[in-house]
Amino acid sequence: MILNLYNPKRNALIWLIGMIVVGIFGYQVLTKNWLETGFMALLPKSEQQPDIAKAIQKHNEHNNKKVIWLVGAATSQEAISHARQLKQQIEKSQLFGKITLEFPQQQAVKNYQQLFSYRYQLLDSKSKMILMTNPEQLMFQNIEWLNAPFGQMQTLNFEHDPTLLFSRFFSLQNPIKLNLEQGIVILPDRNQVFALLLTELENEQLPLDKLEDLLDLVNHTTEQLKASHSELLVTGMPLFTAHGSQSAQQEISTVGVGSSVGIMILLLTTFRSIRPLLLSALAIGSGLFAALIISLLFLGKIHILTLVFGASLIGVADDYAQHFLCDSFGEKNWNPSDSLRFIFPSLSFGLLSTLLSYAGLSFSPFPGLQEVALFSAIGLVVAWLTVVLLFPLLLTGFTFNHEPEILKLAIFWERDLSGWIFKNRLWIGFVLIIFIVGGLLKLTPKDDIRLLQSAPVELLQVAEKIKKLLPVTRDNQFFLVSGKNQAAWHQNEQTLLNRLYALKEQKMLTNYEGVSNYWMTENQQRENYQILKQSLYDSGLLKRYMLELGFNKTAVKSEQQKFAEAENNILSFSEWFASADESKQQLWLGCDSGSCQSTVSLTGITDIEKLKMLQKLSGVVFVDQVEQLSEIFARYRIKTSALLAVTASLVLVIFGFRFGWRNAFGIMSIPIIALATSLAALSWFNQLFSLFNLFALLLVLGIGVDYGLYFFMAGNRRVSTSLGVILSALTTLLAFGLLATSSTEIVHAFGFTIAVGIVAALISAPLVGRFSDEL
Amino acid sequence: MFIKVLLLYLSVVGQIFSDENTLNQISTRLVKSLIVQGDFKQEKKLKMLNKPLISTGKFTYHQHKGAIWKTLTPVSTLVLMNESTLLTEQGEQAIPEAFANVFKAMLSGDFKNLESHFFVMATNHETSWQIELKPKDELLQRIISTLTLTGDTELRSLDIAEVGGNSTFISFDKTTHSSQLSLEQEGDFEPLQP
Repeated sequence: MILNLYNPKRNALIWLIGMIVVGIFGYQVLTKNWLETGFMALLPKSEQQPDIAKAIQKHNEHNNKKVIWLVGAATSQEAISHARQLKQQIEKSQLFGKITLEFPQQQAVKNYQQLFSYRYQLLDSKSKMILMTNPEQLMFQNIEWLNAPFGQMQTLNFEHDPTLLFSRFFSLQNPIKLNLEQGIVILPDRNQVFALLLTELENEQLPLDKLEDLLDLVNHTTEQLKASHSELLVTGMPLFTAHGSQSAQQEISTVGVGSSVGIMILLLTTFRSIRPLLLSALAIGSGLFAALIISLLFLGKIHILTLVFGASLIGVADDYAQHFLCDSFGEKNWNPSDSLRFIFPSLSFGLLSTLLSYAGLSFSPFPGLQEVALFSAIGLVVAWLTVVLLFPLLLTGFTFNHEPEILKLAIFWERDLSGWIFKNRLWIGFVLIIFIVGGLLKLTPKDDIRLLQSAPVELLQVAEKIKKLLPVTRDNQFFLVSGKNQAAWHQNEQTLLNRLYALKEQKMLTNYEGVSNYWMTENQQRENYQILKQSLYDSGLLKRYMLELGFNKTAVKSEQQKFAEAENNILSFSEWFASADESKQQLWLGCDSGSCQSTVSLTGITDIEKLKMLQKLSGVVFVDQVEQLSEIFARYRIKTSALLAVTASLVLVIFGFRFGWRNAFGIMSIPIIALATSLAALSWFNQLFSLFNLFALLLVLGIGVDYGLYFFMAGNRRVSTSLGVILSALTTLLAFGLLATSSTEIVHAFGFTIAVGIVAALISAPLVGRFSDEL
Repeated sequence: MFIKVLLLYLSVVGQIFSDENTLNQISTRLVKSLIVQGDFKQEKKLKMLNKPLISTGKFTYHQHKGAIWKTLTPVSTLVLMNESTLLTEQGEQAIPEAFANVFKAMLSGDFKNLESHFFVMATNHETSWQIELKPKDELLQRIISTLTLTGDTELRSLDIAEVGGNSTFISFDKTTHSSQLSLEQEGDFEPLQP
């Protein structure tokens, strides 16, 4: 068995066949669309109640696709002509499924005509109130209206709506009044006017390259319009996503280039041969490649964040390669197969402990974490297999007999530094404990997902300005209203809307919208008709009013007849819904077995606590996605932390049985010091601490265990072991520690955590052998 | 006869080509000040009514603040207007930029932006002038057929002819100028302050 295990040629062949099989599968899966970029895909589906999840999805569907463009110029004519040119450019880009510049008027006209047949059943709440208490006052208001200058719009249909009640109702159907010129919405600002252009993506999730196209289009058109003395303001979720992924990609690739160059120089100067560099790259590369292909075979699609974090976690595999390579140091008749026999246990225990820590992740219900776990586990196993199966053959004849510069550093660190630390262990330990305990005590997690967003200030300013000019963009928060049938739902929503009306008057929000303000139940429609009948039509008030204004008697008679004929008209919900505009339709979620639901959208919230309090109303739930997501993040941060502790204990137990308890504690003290120091440093240096740091801590755990193990099993090969560990630590620092320079908060926190953890593990690792020697 | 026709033709053509010029000439005739105020009488003829709706009241125009339209008979109401909004006691409404423009132009005597929203026909006579405006915007065209302004050293009337046959005639009287608002006017403008 042992002999079979160390047959280099056959093993290399097995590796080759395996990689070819993976390659064939790779050809199949990589030709499909395999990368996922949407944020929601990372979140657990079971996490939210299904109806809330559905409401959120519907709410976001709308928001996530929309891009708003405002073209500003000195006059509306100029703004409109620029906007028309812009529209052509946007059309040419083929990025959007829907582009609206001229708002179709036919829809409004059709809507008017349809609702007009039900005018005696439809009353706005204010008019209803006045009719019930003081109908004379309403007629008085009409005279005010009729005498107002520029009242032309209101009196267009005066002939058929002499009470102007339908005019009132209809104008409230669109509470926000926007100016239209040539069918285009015109928004006045201080020194200029803006023309509005709305675009919608076809798909909620835009592929990465399209996101770049979108940014290019925005930048290009902004420059162009600036050159012709006008201004372009653009906002929308896709733009934020695009900026986010662009800056992350840019940084990761700059850091990537920097670290690759650093690693190459390091490995070339150390080994004075290109073979180690190629072999390390081959080990990690085949691990990554196989991880990608095999995960895709299982999952179909893989998220970009999985790729980033998973690839980082596979970085542990560098330890195996460096350990193997450095084992040859100073050996005259070095033979890779013999060497493997010697280091195989430490490589395998290293792999096992790391796999254990990643396996824990897959038990979480977070699809994102499961993906990362699967991806990195596969990657690690394949990288390990590459080292174990392929290296013995490819390292044949490899010698490492010169003294590289780094050896001095390794010796200084392994002998002098750790000797000094050992001698001064009492006070150093004391300082370290204070540092760790103090840091951990004041460590405060920040789970607010808004902190993770790193949108450029200009983008936020533009969004803010657009919100001011066009107060229709819906906030992230909304109400979900339900009732056991349509009538109950209607009642619940009306109660909520009345409360919101009061809050709006107190300026707690600028606007809200709910379907029940536009459609009334059958009972209400009958009630409205009766109110009109009693207060105006039967009381003689209508007749008096019309005659006083100058209508002739036939007109009065005809109006009364039309009213009588309309007695049994009822506007059904489905008829209303079919003709309602899209933004209203989006609010209705429908009825299914035993429940009807809708959302009430909110705009310009200034006091979220007051809104939250409305949840006590029956059938009303306040949905705050930002807070919900932050909560999920917090919960998973805690869960993953617990997982980290469980995994560490499990590894400790395994080592305990294998190497004895004292040794197990010795080995595990390295990752534990590294983890604790890293966490404490996060708090001392005021760094962001959230779920994402835990990924980094997992990596630190895996690496810490490796270093501890290698030194524990080094025996008399401490020099070559320290060479291997220092090389692997430096490459890891170059690869991930450099991420700490990033301006994207998540990436920065990730890099910082790793950098501190690796340095701590590196400094403490050589103590492992010393303790067992001298104690 | 021929000469007469030719002269007439030339004068019409001349007028069309020199409308901007004419607007400037009219503008220079008008008395300019920070604040214009006076009385108005509005006669609205709605085709289904057998008598006109007549209202009277006072107006104030302030170059920077906008306009106060205070109806005193038959009911007393207050309407405030600035470049983008119309504020009545029953709430706020957006007004088309074109309308706001006309109102501003006719009360301030500054006609330079009129042509961005209207086809302009202006005639300048010895004692009086007249400006006819036809909307360029399609949507407005469906409602308004012509706006006619007349005046001498002051604005005298505004006639709004609607496509549907309704019309509104506003005449201005007792126009005076000042550089300071009265306390009452200050108070009336209050709701328009942002």
